Amino acid sequence: MRLNSFKYLVKQGFAGLWFNRVNSFASLCVITISLLMVGISVLVSFNITQMIGAIEKRNEVMVVILDGTPDNNVDLLGEQLAQNPNIFEVNFYSRDEALAGMQETMTEDEKAYFASYIHNNPLPDTYRVRVTDISKLSETVKQIQQLEFVESVQAPNDFASILTGIRNVCAILFSAITVALIIVCFVIISNSTRASVYARRREISIMRYVGASKSFIEIPFFVEGLVIGIVSSGIAFGLTWFAYTEIFKMLSTDANVFSIFGLSAIIPFESIALKTGLAYLAFGIVLSAVGTVVSTRKHLNV
Amino acid sequence: MVEFRNVSYTYPNGQQALSRINLKIEDDEFVFVVGANGAGKSTLIKLLLRELTATEGEVIVNGFNLSTMKQRKIPKLRRTIGVVFQDFRLIPNMTVYDNVAFALRVIDAPTKYIRARVPYVISLVGLTQKAKSYPNDLSGGEQQRVALARALVNDPQLIIADEPTGNVDPARSFEIVDLLKAINECGTTVLMVTHQHDLVRYFGGRIININTGAVVFDEVIGGADEAK
Repeated sequence: MRLNSFKYLVKQGFAGLWFNRVNSFASLCVITISLLMVGISVLVSFNITQMIGAIEKRNEVMVVILDGTPDNNVDLLGEQLAQNPNIFEVNFYSRDEALAGMQETMTEDEKAYFASYIHNNPLPDTYRVRVTDISKLSETVKQIQQLEFVESVQAPNDFASILTGIRNVCAILFSAITVALIIVCFVIISNSTRASVYARRREISIMRYVGASKSFIEIPFFVEGLVIGIVSSGIAFGLTWFAYTEIFKMLSTDANVFSIFGLSAIIPFESIALKTGLAYLAFGIVLSAVGTVVSTRKHLNV
Repeated sequence: MVEFRNVSYTYPNGQQALSRINLKIEDDEFVFVVGANGAGKSTLIKLLLRELTATEGEVIVNGFNLSTMKQRKIPKLRRTIGVVFQDFRLIPNMTVYDNVAFALRVIDAPTKYIRARVPYVISLVGLTQKAKSYPNDLSGGEQQRVALARALVNDPQLIIADEPTGNVDPARSFEIVDLLKAINECGTTVLMVTHQHDLVRYFGGRIININTGAVVFDEVIGGADEAK
């Protein structure tokens, strides 16, 4: 295709946008809203995952070391634990530290009573480990149990399964919302294209009679869709930025949120701005342009 | 060249529009196609433009066999045909120049060629002074001349005029046919569908009469203009 023809078709696309400005504006609004909803649902999903992750990371698995294990074997066990791909933190907690910790929670009377009866420290040496993926906790526990010099393993299995369940439900819920919104977008684009095709039916019929190729008829509609997609994604990104930053500020001032989930619970927008922007752009372009082409073929019957 | 070989067309609702049509229109011919409403004239045109495909037989237009033609080849066929409609089918928000140039733009013609060809064709139909006017500012006859210029601009082998004088006053109707005749004399085959028997009688030539889907008359008659 000649450059001049291409320019002409692009111009026609913009002209079409203006000619069908009410429809174009309606499509723009609806696609922006849909993109916003998809974007927000994905961002909320990310944050929930991050929050669950923050809670998961606070969970400790206690590995009780067999009494009388030589020091070098204790170190070896520590190394073996650190090599487990699902373990990201390994801390040795000696029997003395355990006893000191226990005594900290006692009153003076209790301490005296305890000292009068117990002369040797009865507590075991332990490793306290943290797992990366709590859904694989039971598998990890089994692997630890098989290691030498491990007497027992204490892990919060019930809590882990609740968290995993919540995360799975969230994943399904947000996927369903995303799919539903994509379908809504396609329906809206299809209707908008149909209106646009109808408004230009005379031109299209003349184009057909004088021998315009299929792509020549479709390109202006594609340009229309592309422009709507790009502008929608820009607006959606701006609105997301504003809303997200405001919500982040609100939550930052509320100490409770951070005390429950930890400081890293909410992802700051700056760290995901580029990804979000690109995702909006890609999603907006693909959705609008592909939607337009598909529905143009359907309604044009060229 | 146009050829219909034993062509029948039945609409999906079962209505038979054309039945076993055999026709041959040679290059450079001027043919009037006449017939009552519902006789099958529009179906004939739709078959020529490959809007419809014959349910039986073969339609050959400008070397294309329309019965076996692939969908993607249709634009190529249509570039060899110029079409003029009763309702002009001009784009109201484009000037006369742009309406004519539109036919070249959509077939990806070079800008240089468009700039040279469009004013020439507009001058052929006598509308140079109106090149910057919009269709709504023109009379019916002038609008039809713009439509003719658009049909002519990509130098087609065949011009199909579907009742081109239907929305034009009688005096201007003769001008339109005169123009078509002039185009024909330059070597373009012209097939004109009309209801106006006075025009046919005046200009004469080959007349094809279609009635209830069949060719009932196909003869050359002498016209009144020749007697002058």
